[in-house]
Amino acid sequence: MKGIIFSVKRYSIHDGPGIRVTFYMKGCPLSCIWCHNPEGISPLPEKAVRTNRVGGKSFSREEEVGRFYTIKEIINILDRERVFIDQSGGGVTFSGGEPLLQPDFLIEVLKACKANGYHTAVDTAGYSSSDNYRTIIPFTDLFLFDLKHLDDARHMEVTGVSNVLILENFRLLLENANEIMIRIPVIPGINDDKDHLERMVKFIADSKTTALKKVNLLPYHKTGSSKYKRFNRINKMEGTEPPSKEQMRLLKEKFGETGVKTKIGG
Amino acid sequence: MKISDRVQKLREQSLNAVETMSAERALLMTQFYKSDEVRELSAPVKRAKAFEFLLKNKKICINEGELIVGERGPAPKATPTYPEISLHSPEDLEILNSREKVFFRVDEDAKMIYEKEIIPYWMGKSNRDRLMSRMTPEWLNAYESGVFTEFQEQRAPGHTVLGYKMFRTGFLDLKNEIAEAASKLDYFSDPQAVEKHEELKAMEIACDAIIMYANRHADELERIASKTKNDKRREELLKMSQVCRKVPANAPETVHEMLQHYWFIHLGVITELNPWDSFNPGRLDQHLFPVYKKEMDAGTLNMDELWDLLGCFWVKFNNHPAPPKMGVTANESSTYTDFCLINLGGVKPDGTDAVNEMSYILLDVIKEMRILQPSSMVQISKENPDSFIHKALDIIRTGFGQPSCFNTEAIIAELLRQGKSLEDARSGGASGCVETGAFGTEAYWLTGYFNLPKILELTLNNGFDTRTGKQVGPETGNAADYSNFEELLKVYRVQVNYFADIKIKGNNIIERLFANWLPVPFLSLLVEDCIANGKDYNCGGARYNTSYIQGVGLGSITDILTSIRYNIYDRRRFGWKELTDALKADYIGFEKIRHDLIYETPKYGNDDDYADQQAVTAFEIYYDSVNGRPNTRGGVHRINMLPTTSHVYFGSVTGATADGRNSGVPLSEGISPFQGADNNGPTSVIKSASKIDHLRTGGTLLNQKFSPSFFEDEESYHNLTALIRSYFSLDGHHIQFNVVNADTLKDAQKYPEHYRDLIVRVAGYSDYFNDLGEDLQNEIIRRTEHEDL
Repeated sequence: MKGIIFSVKRYSIHDGPGIRVTFYMKGCPLSCIWCHNPEGISPLPEKAVRTNRVGGKSFSREEEVGRFYTIKEIINILDRERVFIDQSGGGVTFSGGEPLLQPDFLIEVLKACKANGYHTAVDTAGYSSSDNYRTIIPFTDLFLFDLKHLDDARHMEVTGVSNVLILENFRLLLENANEIMIRIPVIPGINDDKDHLERMVKFIADSKTTALKKVNLLPYHKTGSSKYKRFNRINKMEGTEPPSKEQMRLLKEKFGETGVKTKIGG
Repeated sequence: MKISDRVQKLREQSLNAVETMSAERALLMTQFYKSDEVRELSAPVKRAKAFEFLLKNKKICINEGELIVGERGPAPKATPTYPEISLHSPEDLEILNSREKVFFRVDEDAKMIYEKEIIPYWMGKSNRDRLMSRMTPEWLNAYESGVFTEFQEQRAPGHTVLGYKMFRTGFLDLKNEIAEAASKLDYFSDPQAVEKHEELKAMEIACDAIIMYANRHADELERIASKTKNDKRREELLKMSQVCRKVPANAPETVHEMLQHYWFIHLGVITELNPWDSFNPGRLDQHLFPVYKKEMDAGTLNMDELWDLLGCFWVKFNNHPAPPKMGVTANESSTYTDFCLINLGGVKPDGTDAVNEMSYILLDVIKEMRILQPSSMVQISKENPDSFIHKALDIIRTGFGQPSCFNTEAIIAELLRQGKSLEDARSGGASGCVETGAFGTEAYWLTGYFNLPKILELTLNNGFDTRTGKQVGPETGNAADYSNFEELLKVYRVQVNYFADIKIKGNNIIERLFANWLPVPFLSLLVEDCIANGKDYNCGGARYNTSYIQGVGLGSITDILTSIRYNIYDRRRFGWKELTDALKADYIGFEKIRHDLIYETPKYGNDDDYADQQAVTAFEIYYDSVNGRPNTRGGVHRINMLPTTSHVYFGSVTGATADGRNSGVPLSEGISPFQGADNNGPTSVIKSASKIDHLRTGGTLLNQKFSPSFFEDEESYHNLTALIRSYFSLDGHHIQFNVVNADTLKDAQKYPEHYRDLIVRVAGYSDYFNDLGEDLQNEIIRRTEHEDL
């Protein structure tokens, strides 16, 4: 069995505890307009052009983004990083894209990771069948759950899908998962208005369970913009500036009032 | 704690002092050598009397407000020369005076003294003259070609550190030891008894000399006190004078006494000769802790006083730049830093956690003082708590390159493998950049850098160096002659062995020059068992005697060999002709090839076994050529892997290489990947770097670049701590962090005046960014940019 992955990050320190390896799985049912991993949206391998300059000349070559990995390959990569993972209390994170878009592969790879003693995390946008979540809960130590917008119409508008299923899955995990961290992207002009943020704070205050460990506020950043060029996509966020440090600090304070540990960044 | 106004003033004074060359020592040394008495003396006694003469006649300098006294020159940063080691010509003085980086201002008086007194006497008589005249044409060719450098060309071997004993021993005690050793001399069966007697006599003179020197300071302090109107300062001066009367004659019993005791010893060592790495108090937290504790309990010392003493002590090191260097020696170690590396943490002689209150206090002092010298490091043992590492990271994150991190267990294993006792190994540490040593018991001399990529260049070119136009190595054939990779390696090994032989032969000749002409009776007092053996430090008197040759360019040689294996033999992407044409043209017109070499070829630093295998191969070839070869002091040669700034010099003499590197560009430093070659993150760098066997070296250097974003919060500290501990669990010897962003550096290059205090990690040490050559500045900017991405 194989899964398609578009990037592997070592010394990943923002996707769960300790030093981790994060596998970015290709394919996502959402199409958030601020997406900073646009190459993760399509579930198929894609061509991209990479240009390097050497001695004043440019050399371009087409490279394939997205490669199929076997479970054994994944475990091999983890084993090579084992010393760091063990020393730091780290593990493996499956992110994306949306890892639950490859449910059969995901459950098998999670099982294999657990069998090899690795702490597992799944970073999900929440948009998959509830059965899929039920299946992986026993093999997932930590869920990183993205919450983008609480208003369904607006959610539809900025991500392309409804949030009903997402919120349903969120409640399912609140009750059944080992640990959850909520990740809220703070996107200027999309979800950072006062009303919505207040609603979000209240939502989190109402969601407090033993499983809910932390809220991560992820400020919008521009590192995705060069990727849009490379992948020949239109960047709808062109010209948007990241939220200020001060704005993030105030937000952290506000979310902190819920009593749930809040952090800026992963 | 914050530093007091007093220390702040002294610190500013030290930062603002201009490096000058002082002719005082050279003049005194010349007067002494000219005297009639000298001709009749044995070498050790001559050197001891010279030492005594210097200390008796040099100007005593006491700076306002300071608590620890003693300057090597007549004023802070007034730096002496050592004509008996190497003589500066009038042209040299001009270069020193006017060069842009690491200059020493030479005033007209000094120039005059040199012309009239120093040069006429020493012409042809310095150790450098003696040394160069004894080297073979093969040695001189290799040296000129940039295959290796020679540490003892302009400086004396030093490379040692004070151990536990001397922090509890006065020189009067040593005189008793000397008398005892003399009484045991066996004139019936020991043919060296007479020589030993001379050596012991010399040591005794050196004891008296240092005590006399301290008393001269006491006299001067009393004189100044008698003229001082400020009651508080007068009291201080009188107390300082009492301290100088007590130490170093007697064992120190307070923190003040211990620091002053050490400082006189330090001055003695760097006045006697100009040994590499100046000198070093070593495990300072261990030495100070018992006296600190005793005084705190007794209420005779408070934190403010302690901080003042430590601050004054720190400034002293910064007042003492490395003696002026010229030519290749200046290139290989282009810095004012004199490599005194204070060790904190580690384990006690019984193997238990050595971190104590003083370790934390000294880390605070390092943070607050923020000066170039002394340099500092933390020894990290599995016994040490994480909080100790976190405290070190707190300073590292500020981006001035200190402290660096060392693996105590690796150091101990390296020393044990070399035959040291367990207690001696645990009392050891690292000095200079990363060099492993048994403190207080070992003479571990560095002898020169060894240019591994250059030897491959010669290998591919039938031993001929196109830059110097000389046949430097044996004629072993041309690149195109090798039908497979193994054959190439075989020939490379022949060339490495050839140059190692030349270097070792040279080393053994040079060692005897120092043993016969330039014994160091004062330094010999400090390192066990010179007294008991009746033998000089420079003649194998120490308990352990090691000679090191420092391999340079592991990352580069790995990438070059990997590129050849991958592109020529395995993938057959192109042939030897194409590659050698491209190298000859420095890749002009061969950009596509260069692109493929850079972007489409496996590189060291990515945990890629294909590439890293060549690191192991290159390491083993080098190791086999050097390790275990006898030196003349009863010890053997060993390898370590560090560059100081020689990777820049070695790069400048090495043409374009098969890894896509252009001619003249710096080589990789230490065991770090070539700049920009690693793109898989720090864990992969660590995995690659740990594939060579660190425990069979005397130190390796790994430089890891981090942007400040890796030091954000508690979690990032936790992860960095785990990263360090992981590397050390893989037997890594040392890792250091450069924390800085590229924009800061570019701005500093543009406006150096705004960045007088900008310190960056170079390689094994930190330096003021402004004092680095432009090429090295650019290299650091490049590698920082790489990290920012």
